[in-house]
Amino acid sequence: MAIRESLRRFRRKPAFTGCMLFIIVLILNIVVQGWSTCMSGGVTAENIFAFFKPSALTSIFMSNLPFILITIGQALLLIVGQMDISIGVQIALVNVVCIMVPQTTGCPVWCGWLVGFAAAFAISAVCGFCCSVLRLPALLVGYALTFLIQGINVLIMNVPQGTVPMAYWKPYQSSVYKLFNNPPAFLKFLDYIPVAALVLIVVLLIWHFFSRRPFGKHIYAVGTNPRNAFAVGINPVSTQMKAFLIKGFFVGVAGICLTLMSASGNPLQCEEYGIKSLSAAIIGGMGWGGWGSISCGVFGGGFLVLIQNTVYYFFTLLSKLVAGFTVSSYWHNFVSDLIIFGGLLMTIVTAKEQRKTLQQGLKAQFKRGEKNVR
Amino acid sequence: MGEVICLLEMRGIDKRFGAVVALKNASLTVKEGEIAALAGSNGSGKSTMVKVLAGLVAPNGGEIFIDGKKVEIKSGTDSVKEGFATAFQDLSLIPTMSVKDNILLGCELKTKGGFVDEKESRKVVQELLDRFHIDCDPDDYVQTLMPSTQSMLEVAKAVFRKPKFLLLDEVTASLHYDEIETLFGIMRELKAEGVSMVYVTHRMNEIFQICDTITIMRSSETITSGQVSDFTLDDIVYYMTGAKPKHHEGTGEVSAEDYTDRELVVDIQNLSIAPKVKDISMKAYRGEIVGIGGLEGQGQSEVIRAILGAVKKDGGSISYLGKPTKYKAPADGVKAGIGFVSGERNNEAMFPIRTISENIFAGNSAKGKLFKFLTSKEVKKFSQDAVDTYNIKIGKLKDPASSLSGGNQQKLVVARWIAMKPNLLLLDDPTKGVDIHSRQEIHDIIRDCAANGMTVIISASDTEELMDISERIYVFYEGEVAAMLAGENKTPEHLVSAMMGIKSSEKEVE
Amino acid sequence: MSDKSINRDFFSRLNLFIQTHTALMAVFIAIILLIATFIVSPSSLNKVFFGNIILLTIILSIPAAGQTMVLIGGGMDFGVGAVMSATAILTTYTMRGQNGHFLQVFFIAIAIGAVVGLINGICSVKIGLPAMIVTMAIANIVTRMQYILTDGVLSGSASPALAATVSYRIFGVIPAIVMYAAIIWPITFFILNKSRYGKQLYMVGNNPTAAGLTGVKVDKIRIISYVFSGVLAAFAGILGAAYMATARCQIFDGYAYDSLIAVIIGGTTFAGGTGSYAGSIAGSLVMILLSNLLTSFNLPSPMRNILNAVILILLLMLYNRSKSVRQ
Repeated sequence: MAIRESLRRFRRKPAFTGCMLFIIVLILNIVVQGWSTCMSGGVTAENIFAFFKPSALTSIFMSNLPFILITIGQALLLIVGQMDISIGVQIALVNVVCIMVPQTTGCPVWCGWLVGFAAAFAISAVCGFCCSVLRLPALLVGYALTFLIQGINVLIMNVPQGTVPMAYWKPYQSSVYKLFNNPPAFLKFLDYIPVAALVLIVVLLIWHFFSRRPFGKHIYAVGTNPRNAFAVGINPVSTQMKAFLIKGFFVGVAGICLTLMSASGNPLQCEEYGIKSLSAAIIGGMGWGGWGSISCGVFGGGFLVLIQNTVYYFFTLLSKLVAGFTVSSYWHNFVSDLIIFGGLLMTIVTAKEQRKTLQQGLKAQFKRGEKNVR
Repeated sequence: MGEVICLLEMRGIDKRFGAVVALKNASLTVKEGEIAALAGSNGSGKSTMVKVLAGLVAPNGGEIFIDGKKVEIKSGTDSVKEGFATAFQDLSLIPTMSVKDNILLGCELKTKGGFVDEKESRKVVQELLDRFHIDCDPDDYVQTLMPSTQSMLEVAKAVFRKPKFLLLDEVTASLHYDEIETLFGIMRELKAEGVSMVYVTHRMNEIFQICDTITIMRSSETITSGQVSDFTLDDIVYYMTGAKPKHHEGTGEVSAEDYTDRELVVDIQNLSIAPKVKDISMKAYRGEIVGIGGLEGQGQSEVIRAILGAVKKDGGSISYLGKPTKYKAPADGVKAGIGFVSGERNNEAMFPIRTISENIFAGNSAKGKLFKFLTSKEVKKFSQDAVDTYNIKIGKLKDPASSLSGGNQQKLVVARWIAMKPNLLLLDDPTKGVDIHSRQEIHDIIRDCAANGMTVIISASDTEELMDISERIYVFYEGEVAAMLAGENKTPEHLVSAMMGIKSSEKEVE
Repeated sequence: MSDKSINRDFFSRLNLFIQTHTALMAVFIAIILLIATFIVSPSSLNKVFFGNIILLTIILSIPAAGQTMVLIGGGMDFGVGAVMSATAILTTYTMRGQNGHFLQVFFIAIAIGAVVGLINGICSVKIGLPAMIVTMAIANIVTRMQYILTDGVLSGSASPALAATVSYRIFGVIPAIVMYAAIIWPITFFILNKSRYGKQLYMVGNNPTAAGLTGVKVDKIRIISYVFSGVLAAFAGILGAAYMATARCQIFDGYAYDSLIAVIIGGTTFAGGTGSYAGSIAGSLVMILLSNLLTSFNLPSPMRNILNAVILILLLMLYNRSKSVRQ
């Protein structure tokens, strides 16, 4: 009974859509990847659950963590009624700074990271200033800032270059188990937890800290109706600025993860992440302003990541099933974009469900209201 | 300072929005534990005064004193700090947040660690809801609540802040009478505790019922103020409008038998629309003004919209000119010669940033071939004619429609439709919040049209207005027709008792 | 004290003027940019320069026409770039440098534009997805199809005759493309200002509820605006291909943002219900002059990017700020 009640509550939550889509594509991914691996490596338990192989898990987490983190940042901005499509090049900025600062000044790597964080905060503050203080349309500010940041990136680092010491990137690219020198066997399960996943959990815990404070309520008020928030004494501008700065933190972490993932610098990468993170957040169930939650970002980001993974294995599988089947990678992109579009359409189905529950609530209210009149 | 210290004093407040003057040397004084009424017709600046105190409007000039000290209210935060709490006419609730979060917004209960104390919050909010007799769960989303419940919540939210000054801006507009009683009870309690209140309202009886002093505004200026007991109703109306009120005689006494030879225009049988409308049957004949009365939210607007095709009916039938209607959208109704005027002009009728001319021409724009050539001359002539005929006070035809006063906006909307010469005109509370003078003018226009053969169905929340204009009145109660009043039966007493759901023996069945 | 208040009054009046005369402002900015260009590189003051500016402005003004309609109706169309690229590729792919095939290309391109516009319209209006996201998702699919069709390699070129109708200079100055503008500009002007459709579009953009209750078929009007946008973008793609001669994938994708910013500079707002095509044309001119000015500075590309961003933000600040919560 309690389970049914909490399920009913969950269905009304904005993250419901994203969660469902995420679970569907997760199952699809597990099946397709398992099948595909079985076709080439024979049917073994390990191959059937190829998705859960520690190395596969670690690789999917570490290479996609930056994207998921910025989707979370984007979701936060959507809650306060803003957005930032320059968020993609912002992590490239952090990446460039993290590489170039130690390389040119000779300071330790972590110093570069601090400067990278500072850069993330600074650029987020600039974006926040334009969007909330100057009240310019966020979409166009993001577009303009994309130019600005790319310009800065190239000024700092003209061509892709640089390295990160192995002592830094190695732990990030492994599982928790492998962090230990001589791990006891009973800790073997830790092999299934990538370090990158741990980073995600830590970031979410930090967000949890903010969301339980009054700030966590204010963002929704500001996102839905800044005037009304202002009327009860909340400053919409400073709330939005805070949201931008927290997003800056996410960008900082994402940029460092990107640096550790590639172990090098590239000034002109990740531009497409800006728009992609926005689509991901919407697929995860976000609305414009005041509707949705950070988990929408996690689910939506996860959905997009898994789609690409699934499509890749799907075509591998096809080429094995159908003799002589080969297609260019353009088809991969085409199919994943089609599915993303389908995902967007899916949000309608669940949104309709939510509308229905809302309406039922409304009807119940009327019945109560009538009682009142009598 | 004089003999009695005024707790709150506003002096010489000026405010311009672009070229429009909203406040001109306006003033207001409130003493401790006093309920001060702020009255005035629409657009006279009452709401702007409240918004100045709430920190939403920055005045161009003037001073505000609290306890004799000059204060500056620059933001919502300042306003809260000075002890104001405001219940806004257009509500300041956040629909996508829960009741609990809305009430505590900006003054969250915190644990020692600075986190929101959910458990304590729920308890406190439940107590508040009980005090206001609001029947809802603290965790319900506000968007799922009825308008009247939302209005009560708006007041509850303001009261929760334990203000020194409570500003209530037309909060009773969508409340049921029992809710108003609850509200007045709480206002009296607060008064006893020494809370000062500014009460903005359109309803005259409420002023006499609850208020101590009254300040009357007209066209952005404070006209007069004093003890309520020193004013009569006619005085107040005089100060508000600048003219002595005329007591209009009801339209001719027509008995039910006269209708047999008149053409039946609208015939509604057993209409039901979930959740409000249960079983409505009514008829309207050519050239007749049919009134729909009842307390707010008894299904009046749903029925009117169902005739137009804006609301889907769940059961029953609507016939228009003898044929059952199958409209999918208002466009179909409009095509068939139906016009619709809504009292919610900001949401449902006006195009504020478009020009006056375009606004008048809107009904014409909506009807006819999409890509037919329209000359500016044609549009201009049409709108100029309407402006002249219906005496709409405008600057230039090219000004944005938002530059008009409320009454003139409503006249414009009525004119928009009448110029189209519809067969059937539907009016949903058309004079809501319109000053008495414009209201009379609108009534005159409607009477003229009916005399020329237009059928008019009008719903109104104001009983006097209904008595005044309609030949027959259908009174709705809980989604059913409680009474049909015509001829001798059409008396204020019958109307009011039917509105309260007291079914009289004289109820007529058609 | 009084000095200050006079000053403030002047600025608020100036602000009011800018807010109400956005199209004029765009022209004003264009003139400033033109003068700046002459100061920076006086040598550019020649026939070729003017011809190019006119040509590019007209090409941009065509998708901007569709974008204007969509924005006035309260939507947004990020698909124009992808549609332009797609029809440009279709043009070169079908024509392969031969004359003829024009009608075939024309009708297929228009059909593609209409279909994409229709899907955009249905998804964003009927289904109610956020316009920006859904048009972008559809644009992505259109882009992927370009790659699948061409395998990512350049193929074919526009027919010389078609290229001539765009690039030939009448009297050595005016590019022939003005003929197309002479058709499309008046049609757009008619649709927006002199037809019921235009009136209804403005009403829908300003207050959809009121428009619906007044008898306007709100969804239909909005969907048609997307179809117009798709069709106009498709046509612009053909002209673009004729101008560039060859077309690679995603060649005109930048036009999605360019048209949007041009329209915004011209005084149309994201909120819908206001704007004019004259403003959008002036906005297109501003965009073209701006990018031209930036190239004539001869800056290294990162600096050019930064300068571009700063100027864009300044332009937006000038008159595209939304209202403060406090009045």
